[in-house]
Amino acid sequence: MPTVVLMDASLSMTRPVSLEQCSEELQRKNLAVAGLTMLFEHMANNYRLEFTSLVAFSSLWELLVPFTRDYNTLQEALNNLEDYDKTCLESALHGVSNVVQQEWGHACPTQVVLVTDGSLGIGKGSLRHSLQTLKGRPEDKKFPLPFPFPAKLFIMCIANAEELQMTDTMHNLEQLLQLNGGDGQIFTMEGQLCLKSVQSMFGRLIDEVYSPFPAVLRCGNLASDVQVFPRPEPVFLDEEIDPMPRHILTDLEIVGFIEIGDISSPPVMSRHLVLPIAVNKEVDDVGPGTTEEPEEETSANQQAGKIPNFCVLLHGSLKVEGMVALVQLGPEWYGMLYSQADSKKKSNLMMSLFEPGPEPLPWLGKVSQLGPISDAAENPYGEDDSKSPFPLQPKIKRSYAQNVTVWIKASGLQTDVQKILRNARKLPEKTQTFYKELNRLRKAALAFGFWELLKGVAELLERECTLLPDTAHPDAAFQLSHAAKQLKLASTGDSQYAAFDQNINPMHTDFSGGGAGM
Amino acid sequence: MKMFSVSHKTAFVVDHCPYMAESCRQQVECDVLTKSRGQGMIPLAPVSKSLWTCAVECSMEYCRILYDVYPLRKLINYIVSDSEFHILNSWRQEDQSTHELMSALAAVGPPNPQEDPECCSVLHGLVAAVESLCKITEYQHEARTTLMDTADRVANRGRIICLTNAKSDTHVRMLEDCVQETILEQNKMAAGSDRLMSIQQCELVLVHIFPQGEDTLVSDRPKKEVSSLLTSEVHSVRAGRHLATKLNILVQQHFDLASTTITNIPMKEEQHANTSANYDVELLHHRDAHLEFFKSGDLHMAGSTSRDSGLKETVTLKWCTPRTNSVELHYCTGAYRISPTDVNSRPSSCLTNFLLNGRSVLLEQPRKSGSKVISHMLSSHGGEIFLHVLNSTRSTLEDPPSISEGCGGRVTDYRITDFGEFMRENRLTPVPESPDTEASGKPPAERAKAQLERYTRYWPMIISQTTIFNMQAVVPLANLIVKESLSEEDLLTCQKTVYNLVDMERKNDPLPISTVGSRGKGPKRDEQYRTMWNELETLVKTHVAGSERHQRVLDCIIACRSKPPEEEERKKRGRKREDKEEKAEKNINKDSEDKSWQESERLKGVVERVKEEQGESEVIKDSPDSPEPLNKKPRLEEIQLPEKAKGPVSLLTMWTNRITVANSRKHQEFAGRISSVNNKAELYQHLKDENGYVVVCFDFVSTVNRMDLHENGKATR
Repeated sequence: MPTVVLMDASLSMTRPVSLEQCSEELQRKNLAVAGLTMLFEHMANNYRLEFTSLVAFSSLWELLVPFTRDYNTLQEALNNLEDYDKTCLESALHGVSNVVQQEWGHACPTQVVLVTDGSLGIGKGSLRHSLQTLKGRPEDKKFPLPFPFPAKLFIMCIANAEELQMTDTMHNLEQLLQLNGGDGQIFTMEGQLCLKSVQSMFGRLIDEVYSPFPAVLRCGNLASDVQVFPRPEPVFLDEEIDPMPRHILTDLEIVGFIEIGDISSPPVMSRHLVLPIAVNKEVDDVGPGTTEEPEEETSANQQAGKIPNFCVLLHGSLKVEGMVALVQLGPEWYGMLYSQADSKKKSNLMMSLFEPGPEPLPWLGKVSQLGPISDAAENPYGEDDSKSPFPLQPKIKRSYAQNVTVWIKASGLQTDVQKILRNARKLPEKTQTFYKELNRLRKAALAFGFWELLKGVAELLERECTLLPDTAHPDAAFQLSHAAKQLKLASTGDSQYAAFDQNINPMHTDFSGGGAGM
Repeated sequence: MKMFSVSHKTAFVVDHCPYMAESCRQQVECDVLTKSRGQGMIPLAPVSKSLWTCAVECSMEYCRILYDVYPLRKLINYIVSDSEFHILNSWRQEDQSTHELMSALAAVGPPNPQEDPECCSVLHGLVAAVESLCKITEYQHEARTTLMDTADRVANRGRIICLTNAKSDTHVRMLEDCVQETILEQNKMAAGSDRLMSIQQCELVLVHIFPQGEDTLVSDRPKKEVSSLLTSEVHSVRAGRHLATKLNILVQQHFDLASTTITNIPMKEEQHANTSANYDVELLHHRDAHLEFFKSGDLHMAGSTSRDSGLKETVTLKWCTPRTNSVELHYCTGAYRISPTDVNSRPSSCLTNFLLNGRSVLLEQPRKSGSKVISHMLSSHGGEIFLHVLNSTRSTLEDPPSISEGCGGRVTDYRITDFGEFMRENRLTPVPESPDTEASGKPPAERAKAQLERYTRYWPMIISQTTIFNMQAVVPLANLIVKESLSEEDLLTCQKTVYNLVDMERKNDPLPISTVGSRGKGPKRDEQYRTMWNELETLVKTHVAGSERHQRVLDCIIACRSKPPEEEERKKRGRKREDKEEKAEKNINKDSEDKSWQESERLKGVVERVKEEQGESEVIKDSPDSPEPLNKKPRLEEIQLPEKAKGPVSLLTMWTNRITVANSRKHQEFAGRISSVNNKAELYQHLKDENGYVVVCFDFVSTVNRMDLHENGKATR
């Protein structure tokens, strides 16, 4: 989940903070930079796979650092931040929206960390003004919230709550959160504005949003401590019936295994890396680091690298066998583990989450009804792996799989009538198909109450009968007049002849020897 | 998404009064080919559908699309109204199919034009529809029972689609009022009943059907609120084609559907088998499949065009020549069932048959310039076709650290193949739901987990940690012991396996003790066997609680194996530690992690081959025809030299060997002497490269033999 840091660079950020103990004069901006420095440091060490970008804004906005995992670059840009004019949040939020959409599209959940002193401008362009004029805007001048992508908005105020509540700032910020669908949080500083309180505020953000998700991956008695990245988000199902958020368990238990061909590209809600972590070390020490690490850590990591780990074994076998492991994430919630290759050399253990529910994939059926193959009387995969119990077939075939009759367009009806006539001319060879098509038409005509058609087709068949050449098989004439008679009887609606489930059967004639296909 | 929204229940009310028997005055020529056949033949008069036929076939088309896209949880109750109402099906899931409805409709038949119009009305049907909406569905019932105290969260909403021929706007208003009154009445009744639910929201969709060429007596009206419970809308439509289009639009609106047109489908022409023309097929599906387009607002960029109706849009996606196969796991963010709009047309059935045969098609966005963007895939699963949405934007998980860089990444001898075998044995299969299985306790998925637990009670992850799993001879027992229960036959097989191992030990057959990383001598043969027996015991011990027969397998092992003296046990442990350290040392030398990964694969291969060879040799020895091994060579030996292994050995040699072995046990041999050649030890051996090192090993073995003889003073050289 990428993060956009939206930094207020307006002049009001340079307001000094009154400090009693400290002789050095500090600006609010310095506090903001200190807080963000702490955040970047934390991410560099423990959340390194997160993509972060830095946007500064005043009356204008500027993308200082595009999405990157290089936290040094971010830090550098932050340190060199200049001071500009007034605060104009609306255009900055537009900027964030553009930056995210260009990079990640519209489906990627994003985190926006807005750092501001809480003085949100005055007059036109101020947040108050934006919120007052929300309604009645033309389509092209809509307020940027809610974002077109799922986003969490974290507002880091370099101010304490009392200060914000004195004006309508707090109210405006709360409104902003509501516009975002309530997704996010407002953080304020507790007590005096100083380095300590800003660090404690960013500490709370880190704990809530940027702490690694530790879990244990289990397959029977084999287990491995893992970190799941990015943190799996809580999921809401039907908000009316089931309004509680669902969290994934920290105990991920494998249920069994399925071939990739059988699970066949299932839809997933999100994807996560499953990274094994060393057991006896502190979780913090082994974040999903990508780049080179300090010297001491290297040796520690090498040590961990040499201890056999279940994740590596599982990954290797999943990759070689072309299988996935079905994993339980919670009550009636499942996911799958598989090997994901990033390049030819690098591959990784990945976990995808299915939508919560007892039956996330129709072609697997209910997951709770999936049992070991030893439960089946005979191996459903066959002794030589030539079969598979998947996919499950639905009880009722879909319309496109069952040759339904639709006459909404005239051509549909014409085709069906022509089919019958074509077969009628090839009697008695085509007796079977002739009656099959005839019965199909009869059924539909009865259901649609289209008795006129039955009469019409009967007449057509009678005419065909008269047009038979002398060389025609005698059986043809019998079958045609028999079929015509039956259709006519059905068209009266007489329950004896017009029953839906009844079929017109070929007439038994003395020419059965010639009646091929009968 | 709300499960019990208005679209959970749809009641169709179709007017069956005498005036519906009237012709729609749209003629269908069904004798089309006759004109070309001979002159003088009078073509059959064209047929025309009645208003009733039009209403029925269009409503069935609505149902067809609905059932294709939502086979479950979206229910239809079909009601026909003349002098009384006829309810053709129920809310029950098994009643939800077009076949059921067609069969019931056939029984109703077309309206009787002779019937007295005075006593016929669509009102009977509308009242029945409201009553029906109050009836609880099995899904509502289930939700209420599971929620218990919060059962009131389960909502009851519904929609009534009424196909009729109204007299006037006043007539329409009368129908609306009647529905409103009935809802109030029924809600009162429902309040006092367990099987009924009061209606919280009802949408009335009145479709006025009139014949071609007539002016409508009823005016169109968009949705308006009649009361807090009821909204109503009126559509005035000509019978025939227009009605079909209208209901097609309605089904899309009612069930959040959207349309995709697959373009550039190559199809073989019947007449010219060698050429292929390109066709388009329109599909309906849930509109979330277009979420990306809606959000970006570039519905038009994605090639959407307005259809003839001008009301609905379709997104065009281009057929990509099939390049995907079933073993590829695409990153797919959604999969939605489809229904072709024109199910019987040749292009539609060609496409659906192609997919039903198990092939998948990737779809790309038509773009004039830039790179190709594949955003969707059509694929069938068990006779159902789904439109998969593929992720086409940048991934936030790109460039992750390779698994070989993390914990356990540098270990090279994982039992990858064995675990693969384990996974195959633990594949899942659907178990039919039956009352019996529920009575017998655990649901199948829990049984699958229990099986995983049993199979992994003792499961070393790397080759060098295990002896027994590297031995063919142990396989029968290892496969059986993990079973929940053993048959008498299974027990016998396990016992046979143990006897076979005893036999191997008696014959002093070599064991596949991993020599990876150990320098010089490995553990002695009898120690190897001890290790093997210990490991086997560990494995079986974890299962003894399973059944009495499991216990008997353990008993058998304990009875058969030789007891190790405790002192030896301790010594062995010391040696093991040594081995491990050596291994660890060697691993450090491994350079890049990727190389080490490949290394493990390669090593795995080597070990595999060794295993096979051993398997083969065992088979030979097991057969009664094969000769007994003649030599009892010193146990110090790790690798037998072929020329030494063959040929007769004198009694003296055997004796001296035994003495030597006995002596060597009493003290630890000097490292220098062990590696000496003709009693001269070479210094700084480690400077030699690995290959050289192997050669030294061999030399050493033969030297020791010679040396032993020499020491006894009876040189045979």
